Formats: sequence, C-alpha cells, structure tokens
Amino acid sequence: MALHLKDKEAYQRLNYLYQAAHCVLAQNPENVELARFYCFSQKTIAKRLVLRQPAAQDPSVKRTLCKRCCSLLIPGVTATTRQKRNKTRFTVMRCLSCGQRKTLLNNPDYCLWADR
Amino acid sequence: MLQTVMAAPGKPTKKEIKKQTPAKTSFTSPFASKWSPLPQEDMHFILKTLKDKLISMGLEKKEVKVFRPWRKKKSKKPDVAPQPVPQVSDSSKNGWTDVAARRQLAIGINEVTKALERNELRLLLVCKSVKPKHMTNHLIALSTTRGVPACQVPRLSQSVSEPLGLKSVLALGFRWCSSSDGGVFTDTVDAIKLRVPTLDMAWLQGAKPEEPVAMEEEEGGERRGQKRKLESESEEVSESPSCTLQPLQVKRIVANPAKKKKGKPKKKL
Repeated sequence: MALHLKDKEAYQRLNYLYQAAHCVLAQNPENVELARFYCFSQKTIAKRLVLRQPAAQDPSVKRTLCKRCCSLLIPGVTATTRQKRNKTRFTVMRCLSCGQRKTLLNNPDYCLWADR
Repeated sequence: MLQTVMAAPGKPTKKEIKKQTPAKTSFTSPFASKWSPLPQEDMHFILKTLKDKLISMGLEKKEVKVFRPWRKKKSKKPDVAPQPVPQVSDSSKNGWTDVAARRQLAIGINEVTKALERNELRLLLVCKSVKPKHMTNHLIALSTTRGVPACQVPRLSQSVSEPLGLKSVLALGFRWCSSSDGGVFTDTVDAIKLRVPTLDMAWLQGAKPEEPVAMEEEEGGERRGQKRKLESESEEVSESPSCTLQPLQVKRIVANPAKKKKGKPKKKL
C-alpha cells in the first residue's frame, strides 16, 4: 500500500539516523551535538509523519532519547543511571547535557504495552 | 474499509476478523542489547568460585568486629571472630569484617555504576534474575564501552547475598587494586575472566558478522536501504570505519479486537 511504502522509507530513515547517532558517539564520544542532531531529525520525522502511533516510538528507542534536548542517551557516556527509592524502586536516568531526568519504575510485574 | 480507518494494516489479512484489527507498524530499536548467554558450567564455576572466595576471604582477614549500624548483613555475632557472613559477601560492601576487601569490591548497582564510570572495575558480574531488566541493562552498555568483561549469572543474587549478608546483590564489581588486598581477589578475578564471554554492542563494534545475518533472517523483506550488503561482507564497513548498520527492524502491532482496550499483540518481524 502506499502508506506502507512511505512508512518503510521513513522507517529506514529513522533507523539509519538512530544507528548513525550511535556510531557517531562510538567514534567520538565528545561529539554529542551531532548525535543530538540526528536524534532530533529522527523525532521530527516521526512527528511529521505521525509514525509509530502506538507509543511514538518503541520504548527501547524512546528510553534512550532525552525528551528535552533530544540527545541520545548512553549510560555512562551521555547519561547517568542510578537507582533510587522512595518506597518503590526507581531507575533514574539523567541526561548530562540538559539535566533532564527520566524515571523508570522497577516493578517486576510491569510489562510494556507494546509487549502485550 | 475498516483497515484504512485505523492505520495501514501490516499484512494483508485474509480473514474478515483479522481485518478488523488493523496492524500498526512501529519502529523498534535495531539494537537489542542483551547479555550473551553464559554456559551452564561456567556459571556454576563462577558462582562456586565466588562463594568460596568470599568465604575464604572472610577468614583471612582478621575479624574486625565492626558492628556497623549499617544493616549489612552482619548478623549479630558480636563475638564470633570470623564473620562468615560478611566475608562472603562479595565485596564491596563494606565489609564488615573486611573493610579492605570491601573496598575492592563494588557491591550494588549504584556503586558498580559509579565505579564503571570512573573505570575502576576490571570484572563485572550481574545477576540475571532481575526484573525488570532495565534496572541492569545500562550496565551492559557501560561495561562494553570500557572494555570490562561482564557476564550475567542467574541466581547471582541468591547465592551471593547469603555469604555477604546482604539482602540482594544484583551487581558486583571487582576494582583494580594493587594493594595486598587486591591480591586476594586477583586470582579469582582472573579465573572468572577467562570464562566470561565477550559482550558486544552492535553500534560499538561495528563489524559483527553474526548479527547482520541473524537479523536479516528475521527481517525478511523489511531490510532495505542498507548501504552495505549484509552477510556477504560483514566485516566491511561502508559507512564509517567502525560502524556497521543493522537491518531495519520494524515491529508490527496487530490490534486485537478481542480485548476491550484494543490490546495489541506485537509481532516482531
């Protein structure tokens, strides 16, 4: 279908950008700007084409992107991951560039919607 | 048609019922970071070695009856000279009996993460039976970027927490240490190191012959637009010196009409 095809191309773009961002960081750990630009493009593409309706991206991808500054988060390189607890256990990821925190709840029984 | 209303269905559905559940495609990460499988005997060996080490360690150090208010397992054994429990614990926790030994180890996810960030560790052990998995997933990438061998051992927590006296040990790290205390663990570390399979991240390694092949099989028709031909070269990198692209992995979600809320079973291509 036509829609299908457009999606495919767009997905390839997204995929390519995502991987390229990883490669960039692998080669040059300091160059977060480029990675950020790639991820920003990725998000824009997704938004523009309204792709991935279910959750605007698979959690595995979404979790590695910072919401505020769109940089690719790699624990240890561009982000800090810690475990905290406030009655429940959280895994907190902090983006080093913008300081945005992302909290993940550690519920053993939680299963992603996408996995359902 | 019903399909067009929702979204482009992933696959042409033949049945009527199926048509009512549109399939939505969703972009999923091509990098599936997962631990490499650890052979059983290696795992047992590691566990055993670790346990013995801990136990033996405890005895070696003079018992410092450090009765910390910290609830490290130190069970009340105020006068028992050796404290088997604390000693066993792997490490780092401050050992109750063995402060120095404790220093050599990084116990706990946070501590391990910090040490990893500072490149202090030379071996990393992670418990595999931890849910949800993303609690420790970050460790995988962290350790591979630093070239630290790491492995996931199921039941690490159960077997290690006892000797150490901690409630749960999800991550254990051995620091680089040149002091005499380090000597205690060095042989253990080396022994374990040999058994640890290597971890790889796709984007880091660049050329991964097996992955593209495996992925490709999964992908089937989805793979496209790769500059490199997978499988054939595998080692070559067209994009950049050290990066290889993974095939596109598109996840399909098929809405399930049976569920009220439109739960969608996900089908990965």
